[in-house]
Amino acid sequence: MPDNGLLVQMILGALLGLSVYLPMAAGQLSLATPAFYAVGGTLAALMATHADHQGTISLGAVLWEMVVAGALTAALAALVGLPVLRLRGIYLAIATIALVEIVRVAILNLPFTGGATGIFGIPQPFGQPLGYIGLSGGLLALAGWGCQRLEGSRLGRAMAAIRDDELATRCMGINTTRVKLTAFVASAALAGVTGVIAAHYLNTWNARQGSFDVAITTLAFVILGGSRSWLGPVIGGLLLTALPELLRPVGDLRLVLFGLVILLGPVFFPQGLITPELLERLGRWDLRRLKP
Amino acid sequence: MSAALLQILLNGAASGGVYALVALGYTLIFSVLGVINFAQGALFSLGGYFTFLLMGGRIGVNGALPGWHLPVALPFWMALLLAAIGAGVVALLVERVAFAPLRRRGADPLLSLITSLGAGVVLVNLLQILMGAEGYAFPSGSAALAGLPEALFIGGARIRTVQVVLLLISALAVAALTLWLERSRTGQAMRAVAEDPTAARLMGINSGAIVRLAFLLSGMLAGLGGGLTGLSVSLAGPYFGISFGLKGLAVLVLGGLGSVPGAIAGGLLMGLAEALIPSEASGWRDALAFAVLFAVLVLRPSGLLGRRLMEKV
Repeated sequence: MPDNGLLVQMILGALLGLSVYLPMAAGQLSLATPAFYAVGGTLAALMATHADHQGTISLGAVLWEMVVAGALTAALAALVGLPVLRLRGIYLAIATIALVEIVRVAILNLPFTGGATGIFGIPQPFGQPLGYIGLSGGLLALAGWGCQRLEGSRLGRAMAAIRDDELATRCMGINTTRVKLTAFVASAALAGVTGVIAAHYLNTWNARQGSFDVAITTLAFVILGGSRSWLGPVIGGLLLTALPELLRPVGDLRLVLFGLVILLGPVFFPQGLITPELLERLGRWDLRRLKP
Repeated sequence: MSAALLQILLNGAASGGVYALVALGYTLIFSVLGVINFAQGALFSLGGYFTFLLMGGRIGVNGALPGWHLPVALPFWMALLLAAIGAGVVALLVERVAFAPLRRRGADPLLSLITSLGAGVVLVNLLQILMGAEGYAFPSGSAALAGLPEALFIGGARIRTVQVVLLLISALAVAALTLWLERSRTGQAMRAVAEDPTAARLMGINSGAIVRLAFLLSGMLAGLGGGLTGLSVSLAGPYFGISFGLKGLAVLVLGGLGSVPGAIAGGLLMGLAEALIPSEASGWRDALAFAVLFAVLVLRPSGLLGRRLMEKV
């Protein structure tokens, strides 16, 4: 059984997986999640260290930071999203990688973000990881509930339609730009809010937290878990964050393992581990068991 | 021309030459397959390591192969050539594992972007495990280029001999490749596959072989760039190819996806733009490439010399 600290990281991984999943559900391969995650974390670090909290911070203040970070990353995503989402496929992927790099270099070089060492001594709202499990778990439950609601909704069905055929969807009179932008903004806000929790949990924050590596690891969450339902990235994020820690000897091989997942996943499991068919079969199995 | 301006031009051209090499590697694969090989940065790192090892470099203590080195120490030229071939062979392997299975299945080309990212991550991290995470000091440029002076003075500007060599070799490689694509029969076949794979197959062109050739050549270009850069900055590390790989992407988009002259012009432009950034702001230099990339994508997604994008229905 993983310890509480690992559990926090697993939940954070699941949240980032969901953030990568949201644009992908609308057929957009965006790798921008680490950029917004980094912005959210930096914002929390700045807000919490500039106010005088004497090493601890109230949960209310952290929730306030999450609101601010969510709003700011959403606004940022709306701003860059309009031009960026005109791009398709490979172009979009490259543009979002550029975004990640620009944000990373900016955090590294801005005068108030602490350079390479970053910001440390970020006050903590909880003395124990248990509190963070509650906070991040609550957020995950909320995000999962939102995604579940989305699947049956008008917006969710529009996203699925764009994923299958964007041109046809536009012909049906759906404003595809607005749908894609909504998914992108939601993804950014989720990443930003996750960054806030991560910054407090880690106690320190620097430019490396939102690098190209993170883009790859979070992509691995979705590729392993499956991008056809929201449960896929959640399971992928939980599993892939836990796996390297549970297999201690693999420690150094962590990124090799992630790389192998991304390399071989689409070859052997084109849909990921959690597919809609699997969920459906599980659902039927459950019903049969419940019925007398 | 003032010496300062000449200096900037020379520095810019030297780094721009390497960017052009990397971007050309992407271009070759993009034009025949319509996909981007994200492992290009890792192949660049490999080129640096291969050159280092072939020149008799010794592995540091924190890798899995501490103190290990090849029993031979080749001269720089030979080491560079062999390293490029080595990187090309690894590129073939990447094609086999990350591209071929998906192509056979007719999967979405975006999926191979993901698998090639994975291949790059595996390569870079295996390098780090085997050779350690620290940088390697290459035999210094002057030692490798024995008999040549450390630096040349052209019109009052100082340029290191290594940089001249780097510029010459990249220019030579680019020229040879362009000529080969234009003139040779295989080059023609490759352009035919790039134009229309199905029609090319109907004309009796073995498109599989052409694709593999494109991978071999693009790997060699990346390896060449890695070896040359390693020598020029006297340092290699597992991650040093990543930033070049990403900047090569920026150059590729700047020049126009799939355009050979675009890749060359984009590389030189990017090198010049970087050389123009004053040293006080050097921390921002890495952001420049991506800001340019971002602006180009937003304003003119077809790049400077690329063809207009067509929506496929």
